[in-house]
Parts: sequence; structure tokens; C-alpha cells
Amino acid sequence: MNYSQYVVHSPQNLNEALGILKEKASEIRLISGGTDVMVLIKDNIIKEKELLNLSFLNELRYIHEEGNTIKIGALITYKELEKSKVVNLNAPILVDASKTIGAAQIQNLGTLAGNLGNASPAGDSIPPLYVLNASVKLQSADSERVVPVSEFFLGPRKTKRAPNELITEIAIEKTKPGLYYFFKKLGLREANAISLVSVACIADLDQYKKVNSIKLALGAVAPTVMFAVKSEKLATDKQLDLNLVDEIARSVSEEISPITDIRGSAEYRRRAAYGLVYEGLYEVLMGTAKRVSGSFEGVY
Amino acid sequence: MQKFLTPNIIVLDMDVSVTFTLNGKQVIVKAPAAKSLLRVLREDLGITSVKPGCEAGECGACTVLMDGEAVTSCLVMIVQAEGHQIVTAEGLVKDGKLDPLQEAFVEEGASQCGYCTPGFIISAKGLLLEKPNPSENEILEAIGGNICRCGAYPRIINAIKKVGGEQH
Ligand SMILES: Cc1cc2nc3c(=O)[nH]c(=O)nc-3n(C[C@H](O)[C@H](O)[C@H](O)COP(=O)(O)OP(=O)(O)OC[C@H]3O[C@@H](n4cnc5c(N)ncnc54)[C@H](O)[C@@H]3O)c2cc1C
Ligand code: FES
Ligand code: FES
Repeated sequence: MNYSQYVVHSPQNLNEALGILKEKASEIRLISGGTDVMVLIKDNIIKEKELLNLSFLNELRYIHEEGNTIKIGALITYKELEKSKVVNLNAPILVDASKTIGAAQIQNLGTLAGNLGNASPAGDSIPPLYVLNASVKLQSADSERVVPVSEFFLGPRKTKRAPNELITEIAIEKTKPGLYYFFKKLGLREANAISLVSVACIADLDQYKKVNSIKLALGAVAPTVMFAVKSEKLATDKQLDLNLVDEIARSVSEEISPITDIRGSAEYRRRAAYGLVYEGLYEVLMGTAKRVSGSFEGVY
Repeated sequence: MQKFLTPNIIVLDMDVSVTFTLNGKQVIVKAPAAKSLLRVLREDLGITSVKPGCEAGECGACTVLMDGEAVTSCLVMIVQAEGHQIVTAEGLVKDGKLDPLQEAFVEEGASQCGYCTPGFIISAKGLLLEKPNPSENEILEAIGGNICRCGAYPRIINAIKKVGGEQH
């Protein structure tokens, strides 16, 4: 581990950061919470010898409510999401997912922007961001654009971010009160485990449990996080019952395209996806699933 | 900072000077900017309660409080500590007296080899600072990122409950 080989730039404001990034572009590696990058540094598998430390850009530490949207600054950590009243009230699925990321120490350091920047198909904040219709703000010294999160990823570790761009903000849509939601993941242990499969779902059901609309996003089962589009269609306007729960879960397990890797086989992932979706929808059917309610007992 | 002495000899001097509060005292330390807080604490500042285990965020042996929150110091670059409050197990001792958590770990015999102990104590301290009366579940979540190779978990949990959970 040769820490001395890295030059670290620690800009004090966004303009300064964008200026450095414009000049260095792909020669410099961004680092926020460091929970991915420090591991790469330890293993000596990062090619850039310069680091752009974003952790002093306090102007990117905010959670703003704007009408139907919640805007989250790039430096917001999982812990801050868990403590945020506005996120708990209006996007509780993101809180549930945050609580499963790593362990307490990782949630205190890691950021949403870092999860997006890392662009792992198993990134646990990503399926929730899909079903929350999130968008990613990319800023460079000369430009600014907003990309829907479902279009942001091009493949494992590949995104639409240009080398001179920073993710500065993530915007999510508020979930309407009364909607059902669940986030479920399967890893090889409770804490600090990379997901084998993860599922995020937001469902709008009428009082007789007929499905008005449903969003289902899955992680770690394709080159990028994906919507289970066919299964969503299959479910829409149908009466939720045990048969439909089984049918949707089966459809999801067929619709995904998992691979076999060190953590599990493709077949195992299909079965796990079936199981997680079945369990989640079963809870919706039985009325034990969580609903966006407006109640919050957190700290802030 | 790069200093060019002659056209073909490049001396890389990437040390930075970082000022932060360590266990209540201000310290200034000079180190390579990307060096981990864990290594600086151990190698440059003589704080040996923080243990290197995996150095990849997975074992919790290096846990410190950063502004009151438990973080794995192996994942923090020393430059990122600038201006922050860092507390280690050494800092929990006040006027020669152990912190109630440390007392409880002793009383419960919550360590065997002891390698994981400071990390567990700091994780528990982080929890108690936020929630003085945590539930069993909250305790389990708070120490989920700490591994004890000796398997002293039941006693560790009892020790934390003794300080935090008893009031329930
Ligand atoms: C022990 C352990 C357990 C973990 N468990 C989980 C888990 O359960 N689920 C999960 O999803 N992840 C997990 N992770 C991975 C990691 O914690 C997350 O991906 C986290 O969100 C990364 O955020 P960060 O701020 O620490 O990122 P960093 O390490 O700082 O950066 C991550 C990547 O994003 C880039 N980046 C950082 N900031 C920006 C920005 N503003 N704009 C553009 N690119 C940027 C960096 O260049 C880098 O490529 C775990 C990691 C560890 C060490
Ligand atoms: S040494 Fe830091 S978590 Fe293992
Ligand atoms: S007491 Fe030995 S590792 Fe925990």
C-alpha cells in the first residue's frame, strides 16, 4: 500500500472543484465518502494517481423539498437520509435501502452519489432510485444537465458521466401517501455484504387490492439495474391474489438476465428474485407491507 | 506538491499538514494526503487501540468516532480528517477513569483476545450518543459491522445492554 503515490486535491468550493476536473478530466479520481475508493487504493487497483477529494464541498450537503420533488446534494450520506424527516415521510423506500447498506460505519461515510459513481449493478440505492423516478444532475465547469437514473448507467462501472462532470445532485419524486413499497435484498450475510439480488417496488392498489400501477426494479441481475417492465405490465389492472403474486414473481425471475459469479449462480439468482418478489407482494396482499403513511419517529 | 529539482529527477513530496481534534486535544500531523486515518493514528500518533484488520471497511476493528459517529478509519484519508473531532478508545478514559462502557466490557468479560474490543466499544459509544436507551435490535445493528473472531458476541451484547439497554 503506497499512499505516497497519490496527489490529493481538496477544493473548498464547487467552482474550484469543477475547475480542477476540467483540467485533469480522466486523469483524476473523484472521492467522496471513500468507501469504494479507499478499498481500491488499498488493493492498488486504481489507475489514476491524482484524487479529487470532494468531502469539503459543504454546499453539496443538503436535502431540499421542492413541490413534488426532493433534491439531495451529492455529499449526503446514508445516515443523513435515514435521519431526514422529509425523506422518511415522502420516500421511505430510500431510507429502508440505506439501512441495509454495509453497516453503521459505512452508512456514516458512504454517499448516494458515490453509489451512482461506482456504478455497480449491485448498488443497493439504485433500485429504489429507479422506482422513485430519480434523476442525476451532472455539472461541469461549462455545462449542466440532468439525466434520468434509469438512463444513467451504460453497463457495469460505466455511466453517461463525462470525465469533466461531477454528480452534484440527485432528485427524487415523492411517493404518494397510501402507496405500498418494499425494498428487499439477499446477500451472503446481514451486514457488509454485496447483494446477490435486490428488489425495490412501489405499488398503487385500490382498496380491493386491484393493482392500479406498479414499479419493480431489480439489482445485481443484469449489467445494470433494470425495471421488470413485462412483469409490471402483467400486474397492472389485475386483482392481486395468491395466483397473481406467484405469476408476477415467476415473470420477474424469467425477465431478468443474471450471471453466475463468485457469490452465486444465475439459476440461484433467478430463484432468489422469485422469492424476494413473492415475499414482498405476499406482504402487500396480506396487508403487512409498509405503506407511505406520513408517520415518522426519527431524530430530526 | 511536486518539486522539480532538475529536469530528470522528480521529488514527490505529497505530505500534507492536517489539523484535527484527537481525543479532545488539537493535533497537527504531517503525512501523505491519501494515507488512511487508521495508519496515521497508529504509525504517526501512537494510538494503538485502533486495530488494522481487513483495511477494507469490513471488520470494524479500526472504528473511531468522527464528530460523534462511528466510522471505519481505514476508509478515511487523513486529509479528510481536517477540522474534525476524532475519538478513540483512549479518549473515552476521563481523569484516569474508564467510561461506563469500558467498565461494562471488563465486568462482563466481553473480550477474549481483545483485538476487536476497542472497535466494538466505539461502535456502541456511537449508538449510545445518538440513542441512550437503544433496543436490542438497535444494538445488533450498531455492531453489525464489527467482527469478533473469538465469538464473544453474547458477552459484548450484554455489556452494551448493561449501559444502554438496562433502563427498558
Ligand atoms: C464494508 C463495505 C460494505 C459495503 N456495503 C454495501 C452495500 O451493502 N450496498 C452497496 O450498494 N454498497 C456497499 N458498499 C459500497 C459503498 O459503500 C457504496 O457504493 C457507497 O455508496 C459509495 O459512496 P462513497 O461516497 O463512499 O463513494 P467513494 O468511494 O468516494 O466513490 C465511489 C465511486 O463514485 C465516484 N464518485 C464519488 N463521488 C462522486 C460524484 N460526486 N460524482 C461522480 N462520481 C463520484 C468515485 O470516483 C468512485 O468511483 C460497501 C462498501 C464497503 C467498504
Ligand atoms: S480495518 Fe478497517 S474495517 Fe477492518
Ligand atoms: S475477542 Fe478476539 S476478536 Fe473479539
